[in-house]
Amino acid sequence: MFDYRKYVLGRLSQIGPRYLPFADVASDEVPLSRLLRLSLFQVTVGMALVLLVGTLNRVMIVELDVPASLVAIMISLPLLFAPFRTFIGYKSDTHHSALGWRRVPYIWKGTMLQFGGFAVMPFALLVLSGYGEAVDAPLWIGHSSAALAFLLVGAGVHMVQTVGLALATDLVEEEDQPKVVGLMYVSLLVGMIASAFVFGALLENYTPGRLIQVIQGAAVVTIALNLIALWKQEGRDRERAMSTVEAPPFSQAWRGFIRTSGATRLLVIIALGTFGYGMADVLLEPYGGQVLGLSVAQTTKLTAVLAAGTLLGFGLASRVLGRGLHPVTVTWLGAVVGVPAFGAIILAAQGPSLWIFVAAVLLAGFGAGLFGHGTLTATMRSAPRKQIGLALGAWGAVQATAAGIGVALGGVIRDTIAFWPAFESSPALAYTPVFGIEMAFLLLAVVALGPIRQRRREHRRKKLIPS
Amino acid sequence: MSTNDPDKVWPTGLTLREAEEVHSYLIDGTRVFGAIALLAHILVAVTTPWLG
Repeated sequence: MFDYRKYVLGRLSQIGPRYLPFADVASDEVPLSRLLRLSLFQVTVGMALVLLVGTLNRVMIVELDVPASLVAIMISLPLLFAPFRTFIGYKSDTHHSALGWRRVPYIWKGTMLQFGGFAVMPFALLVLSGYGEAVDAPLWIGHSSAALAFLLVGAGVHMVQTVGLALATDLVEEEDQPKVVGLMYVSLLVGMIASAFVFGALLENYTPGRLIQVIQGAAVVTIALNLIALWKQEGRDRERAMSTVEAPPFSQAWRGFIRTSGATRLLVIIALGTFGYGMADVLLEPYGGQVLGLSVAQTTKLTAVLAAGTLLGFGLASRVLGRGLHPVTVTWLGAVVGVPAFGAIILAAQGPSLWIFVAAVLLAGFGAGLFGHGTLTATMRSAPRKQIGLALGAWGAVQATAAGIGVALGGVIRDTIAFWPAFESSPALAYTPVFGIEMAFLLLAVVALGPIRQRRREHRRKKLIPS
Repeated sequence: MSTNDPDKVWPTGLTLREAEEVHSYLIDGTRVFGAIALLAHILVAVTTPWLG
């Protein structure tokens, strides 16, 4: 007799795993298409960053009439969460799951937080700006809900990026890591550029309804892209699931990590260089407009030149690192290149040559690309496989904090100097100190890199001459 | 026959504990969606009160 039950169970067991979100075989060779798919999470991170720092910054001030200081506070709230990246990374290293998963649960939770923040954000912003009946609502409702929305998105972004990068590192062999780092950076940049254009076009004719559509649309896109990115990436691991080894507590893991040779120095270098390059990000456009007299369309192209330089930097870094150049050398190159670039940007205010300025901006972008790639690859290589999440968390915490402070301080310093009556006649003078500080910080990074390079040289010499 | 055997692999290719973990993501997700939806509705009610 036909055994219907057995037949159905047999069929079910065949199709079952296909509809479950994990890779059943942890293959040795991960094809590029799969890595490309994984890099989609960086697109959503880029989208969230542009929406928070770029689009909403403008919409809140111009269209919603929220005081600029309140906007600045709201936008910097996600920064508060950056140091927790280290802890998230550690948690994902030591996560205990019946499936043997370490990274996917955290990326998924981060995605939910990011989605939740975006889903609530448009209404929170409308309440904050006193739209409709919200004029009569107590102030704290708008303030606290907007703060909550920004915090949720920020926490989600930090979580997704940290653990996502750790997953990407898990998937590939060490010699392929530069390629993956390049891919992740390019995806982030592409996500930022594409979403800046899309948000700009969608919000050209602003209405409150359109704002809700755009932000909630971003929420849906976040979930969709991250689901596609995560699908079947991390394999099930019954051995890891069964293991009963107690993970060391965070403080112990952290102390162990910081004690590995060069870890602290590397973090300091990352902070110095990122701070230096971060300060320029928001000031190049107004500098071009106010000092060099460029039109709005021209300054937008300036940002494109900076991005093109960064892409070139990523490309070159991936290439030379793949051929065996040490990431510390690439980091050093990235910091060194920035010094003359910012010097030329300062001098451009004196000379009439626009081309020198454009070339300097390209060079600055190029240096930033090399520096970012070099430090991330160095971080990936510096940590043992079991501590990748912790190391990438520390990288992200330092990088995000330094970039955020750099952007904020750059604006503050320029504004303070510009308000000085003596400088009102020449706007260039307000920018010169900022670019000067950037040069100084990049030089500090170069100096701090010295001992690491020295140690490597000695190490190599010892290898060449066996005593 | 025991349905509580933790090592038994069910037709989906999962053991009981693995299946429960997959299910827990679904439950947590529903809770988060619910909380977010509730908050969003309250905020909308503040701007455009539809309950009168």
